[in-house]
Amino acid sequence: MTDIGMKYERLIQDLRQDFRPQREWGEGRGLFLVIGHFLVGVAAGAWLFGLLFGYLPGLVVGFLLAGAGGIAHLAFLGRPERFWKMARRIKTAWVARGFLGLTLFLVGAALYLPPLLLGSWPWGPASAIAWLGWLMAAAGMVVLIVYMGFVYTASKGIPFWNSPLHPVLYMAYAFRGGAAALLVAMAALGIPSQDTAERLITIWIGVTTVVIVLFALEIQGALTSGNVAARRSVREMLAGRVAVYFYGGTLVLGLLVPLVLVSGQLAPLSLAVLAAIGLFSAVGDFFMKYATIRAGVYLPLDPRPLRRR
Amino acid sequence: MRWGMVIDLKRCIGCYGCQLACKAEHGTPPGVYYARVLKQEEGHYPTVRQLSLPVLCNHCEDPPCVEACPTGASFKWEEDGIVDIDHDLCVGCRSCMMACPYTNRYFNDQRQHYFAQGMTPYEEARTGSHQHNVVMKCNFCRDRVRAGKLPACVANCPTIARTFGDLDDPLSEVSALIKERGGFTLHPELGTGPSVYYLPP
Amino acid sequence: MNLYSPRSDMPPIQEDAWVPSTCSLCYGTCSILAHRVDGVVVKIEGNPDSEVGKGRLCGKGVSGIMTHYDPNRLRYPMRRTNPKKGLNEDPGWKRISWDEALDEIGEVLRKLRADDPRKLVVQRTTTVTACRVPFHAFATAFGTPNFSVSGGGQHCGNGAHLISGMMHASWSVVPDFEYCNYSIFFGASKGHSAGHASCSNMGKAADARARGMKMVVVDPLCNFAAAKATEWVPLRVGTDAALALGMCNVMVNELGIYDGPYLQAKTNAPYLVGPDKLYVRHPESKTPLVWDTRTNGARPFNEVPAADMALEGEFTVGGISCHPAFQSLREHLRKFTPDWAEKISGVSAATVRRLAKEFATEARIGSTIVVDGVALPYRPVAAIAFRGAQGHKNSVYNFFSVTLLNHLVGAADVVGGCLGFNPTSHGYPETGMVRYLPNADPDGLMIVGSWMGYHYPYPPAQPRLPQNLGLQDLFTIGMTSPFLDSTDREEMWEKFDVPYRPEVMINCGANLVMSIANKDAVAASLSKYKFIVSFDLFLTETSNFVDIILPDCDYLQSLDARSNYPFIFSLPAGMGEWCWPIRQPVLPPEGDQRQFADVLLELADRVGFRADLNAAYNAWLDLRPPYRLVGDESYSYERICDAELKNNFGTERGLEWFKEHGLIKWKKKPEEVYWRPFVDARVPVYLEFLKPIGDKIAAIAEPRGLKIPLEYYEPLPDFLPCRSHCCDKPGFDFYGFYYRDVVHTNSFTMENPWLDETARLDPFSYAIAMNRSEGVKRGFADGQAVWVESETGRKVKGRLKLTEGIHPEGLGFAAMCGHWTDGQPVAKGKGVFYNDLLELDWEHTSPININLDLCVKVRVVPAESAS
Repeated sequence: MTDIGMKYERLIQDLRQDFRPQREWGEGRGLFLVIGHFLVGVAAGAWLFGLLFGYLPGLVVGFLLAGAGGIAHLAFLGRPERFWKMARRIKTAWVARGFLGLTLFLVGAALYLPPLLLGSWPWGPASAIAWLGWLMAAAGMVVLIVYMGFVYTASKGIPFWNSPLHPVLYMAYAFRGGAAALLVAMAALGIPSQDTAERLITIWIGVTTVVIVLFALEIQGALTSGNVAARRSVREMLAGRVAVYFYGGTLVLGLLVPLVLVSGQLAPLSLAVLAAIGLFSAVGDFFMKYATIRAGVYLPLDPRPLRRR
Repeated sequence: MRWGMVIDLKRCIGCYGCQLACKAEHGTPPGVYYARVLKQEEGHYPTVRQLSLPVLCNHCEDPPCVEACPTGASFKWEEDGIVDIDHDLCVGCRSCMMACPYTNRYFNDQRQHYFAQGMTPYEEARTGSHQHNVVMKCNFCRDRVRAGKLPACVANCPTIARTFGDLDDPLSEVSALIKERGGFTLHPELGTGPSVYYLPP
Repeated sequence: MNLYSPRSDMPPIQEDAWVPSTCSLCYGTCSILAHRVDGVVVKIEGNPDSEVGKGRLCGKGVSGIMTHYDPNRLRYPMRRTNPKKGLNEDPGWKRISWDEALDEIGEVLRKLRADDPRKLVVQRTTTVTACRVPFHAFATAFGTPNFSVSGGGQHCGNGAHLISGMMHASWSVVPDFEYCNYSIFFGASKGHSAGHASCSNMGKAADARARGMKMVVVDPLCNFAAAKATEWVPLRVGTDAALALGMCNVMVNELGIYDGPYLQAKTNAPYLVGPDKLYVRHPESKTPLVWDTRTNGARPFNEVPAADMALEGEFTVGGISCHPAFQSLREHLRKFTPDWAEKISGVSAATVRRLAKEFATEARIGSTIVVDGVALPYRPVAAIAFRGAQGHKNSVYNFFSVTLLNHLVGAADVVGGCLGFNPTSHGYPETGMVRYLPNADPDGLMIVGSWMGYHYPYPPAQPRLPQNLGLQDLFTIGMTSPFLDSTDREEMWEKFDVPYRPEVMINCGANLVMSIANKDAVAASLSKYKFIVSFDLFLTETSNFVDIILPDCDYLQSLDARSNYPFIFSLPAGMGEWCWPIRQPVLPPEGDQRQFADVLLELADRVGFRADLNAAYNAWLDLRPPYRLVGDESYSYERICDAELKNNFGTERGLEWFKEHGLIKWKKKPEEVYWRPFVDARVPVYLEFLKPIGDKIAAIAEPRGLKIPLEYYEPLPDFLPCRSHCCDKPGFDFYGFYYRDVVHTNSFTMENPWLDETARLDPFSYAIAMNRSEGVKRGFADGQAVWVESETGRKVKGRLKLTEGIHPEGLGFAAMCGHWTDGQPVAKGKGVFYNDLLELDWEHTSPININLDLCVKVRVVPAESAS
């Protein structure tokens, strides 16, 4: 059967379900969206830690990842050639705000970074243009860190994503991803100092703990919300379609492995181990986002007025 | 003026006339039904009833899809309250599909047709006129309504279960039905303010 | 990334027309307006002008576009090159021209007609009402009585139409939705599904329910009418008669409620019957006698005022002890106690009593009402039945018992009661044509005013040694016959020395391999034919046995002057307007497609019996001068349609007028709708005439080795169990049955991708419904693939739908799905082919109306792989 044939068959089966899984985000071309979300979150976090630690490679990594994330978003859109139209509704739509954030960030970073990396450049690192770039990038970074969770909470059709914890959780992801990106960069290019590396690892452990707590709270919230679709999503994640990604990707690869590595039990903390921690952590973040998106199940329609289930 | 619809669940028999009349009117591609009929069973043997629930875009007063749309492609007409899509603005991000709690939006991906052999002349004329890689949905047959006709689903219903009219007019049939028969909306707890009301079965 | 852009290259619209015509997705034939833009039909809507549909269409009607534009439509005649015929044999189709096709067909028919024209079997589908007259006329003119409608009569008609005709002078019955307060539907979904006047009925039924009409639906399955019922009464499959008879007994014997004056005036209740169970007749005139209570003597019924006729009492007439038929009925009903009814049907005795009481009370016997200035009897109750109740071996009594409820309280064709579909018409006011009224035979019993072929439901023809392949001239209560294709047909033909065998078949659109019973039986029968011609829209499973396939025009490409006539068939019942719509071509034929009506006319010319065909058309269409067809002139079908329309509606209203206006309407009068008080005819509550018929049939059949179970010919109804009720094979604990689906028609619509898609989204359409508790008890899961096996070893595969809405012993199959032909790729593999479980032989046929026994005792086992 052709590709479109398989997709059609699945749509028919989905429409027959009581709980219809959302597939537009996360499946097929929708995979690019998850990749884009992931990359952009990591990028913003990398920029943040790059600024905080004064670590230029972190900024560069952030810029490159954001660029890649932007391309991933374009690949996801149905009409990428119209992407610039997403600026029209910054006032009301979180996606538009995210677009603004990414644009500000990319333009700003593109203005700020070159003078720092290249000897001769039309404007210097302390010039007004560079400062403008820094400001834009900083503003963009803030938007990127904050906006993503709200995109999910605005999705009234997917009760699982409607938790008020979602925005905070995604901010925590950005931090975790940023820390992980820096770990990888440092492992590849050399640690600026032992102290920096240790602080970074401590931050990573701290943020990881926050992520675990928030995630657990969110799951518990969904289970006790009284909303059948939310409960169903949790079931998909813990025991259904998406379980393999959650357990394998998020927990084992993203949590178990880096924690074991960080404890030093398996091997002393070398550069390679640092890189591994960063990479596995990032992979885990990706799968957490992926599992969350794929576990999304639409609110079912029930005609009985104000029926509590 | 706010266009609204009242669907009498007591009259509806689930004949799929609305679902298919809508498809015929708009030539929607495979799998896409702006108006659908859901079937639900109530009760335990032998006290059982089969409920037919026709659903369509609710043209909410406070539409989450309009709020979520980054380009303004999803918008609400001031003059009549219909929530519509300007397909030239849609970038196909599908945020609206996640935002709509009634799952009444569809993504029209590549060129599709029902028969393996290709597009029929009907599909060339109707289905082929839809843009691709954008989102599509019911718009209360705005063109028909502006020409003085009823939406296709309303005009066709053989049990006359669907009524269409101005919700802002307290004397309209829709307003009267809602008041007299206790019309209710779907998922009112979400605060979307649907313009589609149901009368109890 | 697809950068396909919208059609900015579309040329401006040149042509935009709304053409009035009629639908043909089912035999309801609702009126449509087809929207044609630049030569493409882009929408089909109802025609608000028409009474038939009232401007609305069901899901099938609006989907007709996709049947029309289906690329799998046949476009040119084809001939088989592989002489072997079989279910799995590729016919090796070769394209031929019309001339080649008609040359060969003409040759075959010419030879056959010279030999014995009765060897031609003419078969048609019930879906396309437009093919009735052309094919009947052709068969009549050719000289063959062997006509069939595939599964049509054998599944629904032989019982439902027969009794509706006998008791209500119409093809079918429906509650008077406008005035009825309490309706009971036995295995029927009028107003909630497809069929006769379906779209109009949907609106009327919804109005009735909104008005507060209580709707009790007796059905093993809770869907369609039962889904909207005020009360769903589940019962064991095939036991409707038991419940109905229980209710009749409660009404007459426990409550003592019945409409005496109605029974006296409008039924044979007062006719005296003797110990031989036959009427006591006047010695000379042979008129049935009644007991005149005024003069205290027996006199002919037509000489005694109804009010003076005795309904009870023992009398002696000419030395014979006798009593009124009503007394026999009353005594006979006593044995149908509510407890007995509960044991047979599963409906509790308390419910039987309650339903009877509610029905009898709401009947408001004796009341009247004024409608449009005319005072009429008012009985706002109606009991109706249709396909479900009568699709069994005890078909006649099943249906009769249900409508007996109406006649006991006088709720027949009066305001609020059970109405036939337009049994009388006073005709078109300007011309007086299209006028018909029931009248009475010498025994005073009703003869219909309008009917649809075969023979009238009453009086039944006298049985004789059969000359018809279907043996209908022996089994004269029956209509469509299984014996054309049954596994024991040869045996039957030999038993009765039928002097010829079928050799040639002309088929219009029927898919008999699927629509009669199991495919092997019909396949074996069709393989024996020397030559089969078929008019079809698509290749079907039956095409494997066809010699020449002719590509038919569909309803959007065809002309028909009488879409909804006879009015007893598909014009809505009740008050409103008479309406005569026509069908006209909206689109031209594609490829070599031709209308069957034209082809038949040409064949008659080629074979040389045009004069006979013209005469047949004159008879079938009741054409009067100057519109009568003359001699052997080669009238085109357009001319014939024009003649019919002018014949009925005047010289200015021919085909051109109708093409412009689409239809003609005129107001109905209350005396037409509620005709019962105005027509001097009676209906039988005592089926006296069955006995002599049964005896005659037995006299002919039994010496030839066919035992006739005469309990089916008793004058009073009984519950006679189906074979499934007698099966006690261990493990076979479900009663399989099929039911109609609103979104599908016969085996026709599964190829329509919109309807197929809709059915795939519906929880029941392609599934097998099983009671949830029963399913769970046996370890079945929702959606599980299962094999369903009959007690004779036939098997079908499908997926279960566990539901609360079915009787625990029931197993319900929707529609007639399960296609396997490559000629219909959309339909292929969808749904379950229930009919494959059905046997096709004498043992599984009603011995009185030759209806098929459609319920099967089955066993359900899990299947390993997907369906």
